[in-house]
Amino acid sequence: MKHSFLDQYSDRDSIIHRLDPRGKLVVTTAFIAAVVMTPFGSWLAYGLYFIVIAALIALSRLPVSHFIKRSLVIIPFVLLVAAFVPFFKEGEVAGSYNLWLWNISVTHSGLQVLYNIMIKAWLSILCLILLTSTTSFNNILKGLEQLKMPKVIVMIMSFMYRYIFLLTDEVLRMKQARDSRNFGGGRKLWQIGTVGSMIGTLFIRSYERGERVYASMVARGFDGHARTLGQLQFSRRDALFIAVLGTVLVSISLINLVY
Amino acid sequence: MHIPDGFLNTATVVTTGVVSAGGIANAVRIANKKLGERHIPMMGILAAFIFAAQMLNFPVAGGTSGHVIGAALVAILLGPWAAVIIMSVVLIAQSLIFQDGGLLALGANIFNMGVVAGFGAYYIYRLMGTLLGDSNRSRLVSGFVAAWSSVLLASIACAIELAVSGTSPLSVVLPAMAGVHALIGIGEGLITVAVVSVVMSTRADLLKLQRI
Repeated sequence: MKHSFLDQYSDRDSIIHRLDPRGKLVVTTAFIAAVVMTPFGSWLAYGLYFIVIAALIALSRLPVSHFIKRSLVIIPFVLLVAAFVPFFKEGEVAGSYNLWLWNISVTHSGLQVLYNIMIKAWLSILCLILLTSTTSFNNILKGLEQLKMPKVIVMIMSFMYRYIFLLTDEVLRMKQARDSRNFGGGRKLWQIGTVGSMIGTLFIRSYERGERVYASMVARGFDGHARTLGQLQFSRRDALFIAVLGTVLVSISLINLVY
Repeated sequence: MHIPDGFLNTATVVTTGVVSAGGIANAVRIANKKLGERHIPMMGILAAFIFAAQMLNFPVAGGTSGHVIGAALVAILLGPWAAVIIMSVVLIAQSLIFQDGGLLALGANIFNMGVVAGFGAYYIYRLMGTLLGDSNRSRLVSGFVAAWSSVLLASIACAIELAVSGTSPLSVVLPAMAGVHALIGIGEGLITVAVVSVVMSTRADLLKLQRI
């Protein structure tokens, strides 16, 4: 197994790492909600939110390059969805293009919306990176369960997490096998058939693995409930964390209202 | 098609969130009733399967590559409610682990790629099956059409959500999204057909599983 990319750095130690996952989940959701609901053009508020997240990143003592790298990976996907944004009809035209059947124009107000959305998306992404880099996935799941996410979904997610590594290995082996039989002839659309049969094989193997896993779980007395040791500890520090961050978020939106 | 945070307005976030939460709750109830505790490890492993299958990229023109979404595949093999559960779990994990798709946009993403794609694919597959009769060839043709439509339907839902949120006018975002995804859907369709034909030739009994 060589994929620590899933929750890299979550096993380190810092004030942020030691916080209870429930507190972190609540604060993450509140932060993203506050960012998303900020009215367009509130540059001061964006700056303040950035300072908050930067301070938390500093407290987490994780390399800043990690946050930059992770955001750079995901921003192209954000741009893919954002590509349609600047084509508002109203407003002063910044540029006009003829594309086959459409005559589309980029307006200044459209570009403003694009900048705002990109900033909001990036701030939210930074916050999510911070959450997953400081909390192990198992703890996130435990937190979600305590926050009343349906138990079944949490159990399914923990199974998924357990088997992602195994199936990823399986995929990498299949890829290696394919590439070693396909010397120099790749990069053609008809590879799609090969990918299809690989996924088909993967499905059958996964399904059969599922049957075996269930059979061995039943043999050990599985009745639909998972019992775990290791309870979460919600301490005074976590309450303080939520209180401080809550106050900060509320004050930023108040400041934004006043200015 | 994963909508990030910041693209949707509050009304859309809340509406899609409520609809998706209701859909997941109902899917869990049905799975519990029909499959019992058997479905828990199975759904988990199949969610990991979708996760891993999405790692298998195939080259598309111009140096870009695409990968399968998988909702249609799961819906065809296991039924629409199973697709809702599995796609929700995959999307939640993608949002948390890879930041692919926003946290507050999860409701919308689950609605598009789980509910719309899953149910769309399932009923189109069923309808095509009754129209074309029960043969291996008809299964493959219906599989292609169902998978292609699932991508198209999901992209239309996504376009409508973006337009309702005021991020882009519907007259621009709908044809653009639907046009791009009509092409992407061909890849999804071809892969789904290839998978179904592999399953058909090696373990045909898996095509006759109890669907939920």
